[in-house]
Amino acid sequence: MSNLDIILQQLANGLILGSFYALVALGYTMVYGIIKLLNFAHGDLYMVGGFVGFLVLSLISGLMGSSWAGILCSMVFSMLAVGLLGVIIQRIAYVPMLRAPRLSILITALAVSMVLSNGVMAITDGEYLAFNTDLGYEGLDLGNVFISYTQLVLVVSASLLMIILYLFVHKTLYGKAMRAIAIDQDACRLMGINVNRIIALTFFIGSSLAAAAGVMAGVYYGSLHFFMGFVIGLKAFTAAVIGGIGSIPGAMLGGLVLGLLEAFGTQIPFIGSEWKDVFSFGLLILLLIFKPTGLLGKTEIERM
Amino acid sequence: MITKQVKAIAVGILASLLIVGQGWAADVKIGIMVPTTGSEATAGKDMENAIKLAVDEINKSGGVLGKNIVTITGDDGCDPQMATAAASKLVSNDVVGVVGGYCSGATLPTLKIYGDAGIPFVVAAANSTKLIDANPGTAFQINSTGFDQVNSAVALFKEKGVKKLAIVNQGDGYSEDLARLTKEKWTGMGNEVVAYAVVNKGEQDQSSLVTLIKSKRPDAVFWTAYYSDGALLIKQLRQAGYHKLIAVGDGSNSPKLLEIAGKAAEGVYCFSNPTADYLPAAGDFIKNYKARYHQAPDAYGPLAYDGMKLMADAITRAGSTDKAAIVKALKETKDFNGITGAISFTDKNTLAKSNFVVLIARGGKWMLNK
Repeated sequence: MSNLDIILQQLANGLILGSFYALVALGYTMVYGIIKLLNFAHGDLYMVGGFVGFLVLSLISGLMGSSWAGILCSMVFSMLAVGLLGVIIQRIAYVPMLRAPRLSILITALAVSMVLSNGVMAITDGEYLAFNTDLGYEGLDLGNVFISYTQLVLVVSASLLMIILYLFVHKTLYGKAMRAIAIDQDACRLMGINVNRIIALTFFIGSSLAAAAGVMAGVYYGSLHFFMGFVIGLKAFTAAVIGGIGSIPGAMLGGLVLGLLEAFGTQIPFIGSEWKDVFSFGLLILLLIFKPTGLLGKTEIERM
Repeated sequence: MITKQVKAIAVGILASLLIVGQGWAADVKIGIMVPTTGSEATAGKDMENAIKLAVDEINKSGGVLGKNIVTITGDDGCDPQMATAAASKLVSNDVVGVVGGYCSGATLPTLKIYGDAGIPFVVAAANSTKLIDANPGTAFQINSTGFDQVNSAVALFKEKGVKKLAIVNQGDGYSEDLARLTKEKWTGMGNEVVAYAVVNKGEQDQSSLVTLIKSKRPDAVFWTAYYSDGALLIKQLRQAGYHKLIAVGDGSNSPKLLEIAGKAAEGVYCFSNPTADYLPAAGDFIKNYKARYHQAPDAYGPLAYDGMKLMADAITRAGSTDKAAIVKALKETKDFNGITGAISFTDKNTLAKSNFVVLIARGGKWMLNK
C-alpha cells in the first residue's frame, strides 16, 4: 500500500465516520439552537435507536429478510419511535425546567442520559447484542483502496437525511419558525407561533436523526451495547462545537472534520489509534479557548 | 437473646457433629478451596461439583490406600482476606491436601499458609505468573500460565508459515501482558512484529487501525483482548479485504464473538483453556456431571476434576498420607493421564506441557483445530 492509497483509504474511512458524527451532532446543535440546552442524553438516543432498529429488524426479518429492505423499514420505524421518545423526554424532563437556571436543565439532561443507558443495561443485562444483517462484503475495489457498498449506502443515506433537513429548515414554514424561535422565543410567541410545538418538533427531528445514525452504526459495526452512546455523544458534541454550536451546516462540517481528523491523526507514525480520542477532545479544548464560536458559528444573533 | 443462645448451641452441636463425622478415623481428608460465594461463586461451585464428582468415583472404586476420601470446603470468596481465613480453616482441620484455587489474587496469599503447614496444594485454575514466584514448593499448578498461551500462539503462527505479525491489545493488564510476551517471544525467535497497536475499549470504529494493519501487510493478526471489541476488529478487517490469518486470545473465547462478527469470524483461531466442550477425553466427565448436577460443567470443571484425581493418584503413589511424601509424589508426577491432557511438572511446579487448546471458528461455532 503506497502512501497515496493510505490517504485515499483514510479519506473514505474519515468520511464514513464523519457522517455518523454529523448525524448525531445535528441533534445536539438543533436543540441547543432552539432552547440553549446541551442535551447530553442525545448520545443515548442514538444507542436506543440502534436497539429499536435491532428489535424491529429481528421481528420483521422473517417477513422481508434482513437485507436493505428490512434495514430501511427498521430504520424508519426506529426514527419514528425514538423521535417520539425524544418528544416525551422533552415534555417530561425539559419543559418544566425551561425557566430554571441553565445549569439545572443541563443536570437534568445528564440524569436522562443515565436513565436511558442504565435502563437499557437492565433490559439487556449489559450484554453485547449482535446486529446481524445479510449484507455482504462486496464493494468497490480500487487497487489497494476498498470501499464496501454498505459504506457507500450509509454515507449516501446520511447525506440524503442532511439535505432533507437543510431543505426543511430553510424552505418550509416550520423551518422558518424554528429559525425564528432560535432568535427570539418571546417575539415568536407574540407573532402567534406555537413555540412549544416547534420545540417538540425540533426534538423529534434531532432524536430521529440520532436513531438513524444508531441503526446505521448497528448495521455497519454489527454490535450493540448500552454504553455505545456515551463516546459518540461526546464526539458529536465536539463536532457540533467545531462547526459552531447552533449552526446546522456547522454540525455537518464539524462531523466531517472530526471524522477526517481522527482518520488521519491516527496514521501519523508512532501515534497509534489509542490516540484517537486525544485528538478529538484536544481539538475541543483548543477550539473552546481560541474560537469558541466554531468554524461556522457567527454571532449570537443568528443560530439556526 | 434466647434465640441467639439457641442458635449458638445448635451451631455448636452441628459443628461438633461435623467434626466427629469428618474426623472418622479411616478417612483421607482433602480440602477444597474455591469461591462459593461472591462474584465468582458460579465458577467456584462448578469446581467444587467437579471435585466431589471425582471423589465419588475414587471412593466407588475403592478409595485411596483402602480408605475413603472426604472433603471439606473452604470458601475463598475470590478475596485474599477470605482466602486466608479459608486456608487457615482447612489447615486447622488437618487436611492432607488441598485442591482448588480459582482466583489468582485469592490463591496467592494461601500458598504460604499451606506451605508452612507442609500441605500439598493442587492449584486447579488460578494461573497468574505471580503464583510461580510465590510458590513455597508445595503447590502445583495444573492450569497453563500466561506464558503457555504465548507458546501456543507462537507455535500456531510458525506452523502456518507466518513471517510478519501484527499484535493488537487494549492496554489493560491482561491483554497488554499477553501482547508484550508474544511480541518478545516472536521477535526473540528472529521474526518480525510489523504492527503493535492499542485500541481503546468500547471503540466501535477501528477503520484507522485496519488501514494501518493492511498497509503493513502482516501474515497474521493477533488480538489479545476481549471478545466484544475483538469481534468488531475481525469484522472490519475482513470487510476491508484482509484475508490472512486472524487469531484471538483466551479472553475472546466466547460464542458471542462469533455471533457479533458473523461470517467474518469463519476460520479465526482462538487459544483456550481446556474447557469441557473441546476435550475429547471429557465425554464421560460431562455425562456424569450432567447426570448428577443437571447442568453442564463450566470452564474449569475439568481441571478441578483432574486436580482431585491427581491428588488421589499422588497419595496412592506415596503409599501414605504423609504430607511430605505426597508433595514428593506430586513432584514426580509423570504424564498423569487427565481429561485435560497429560500432566507433568516443571522444576517450578508448573505444567510442563501447555494444556491450551487451539480452536477454530467453523460454521458459527468454536471447534477444536485439528
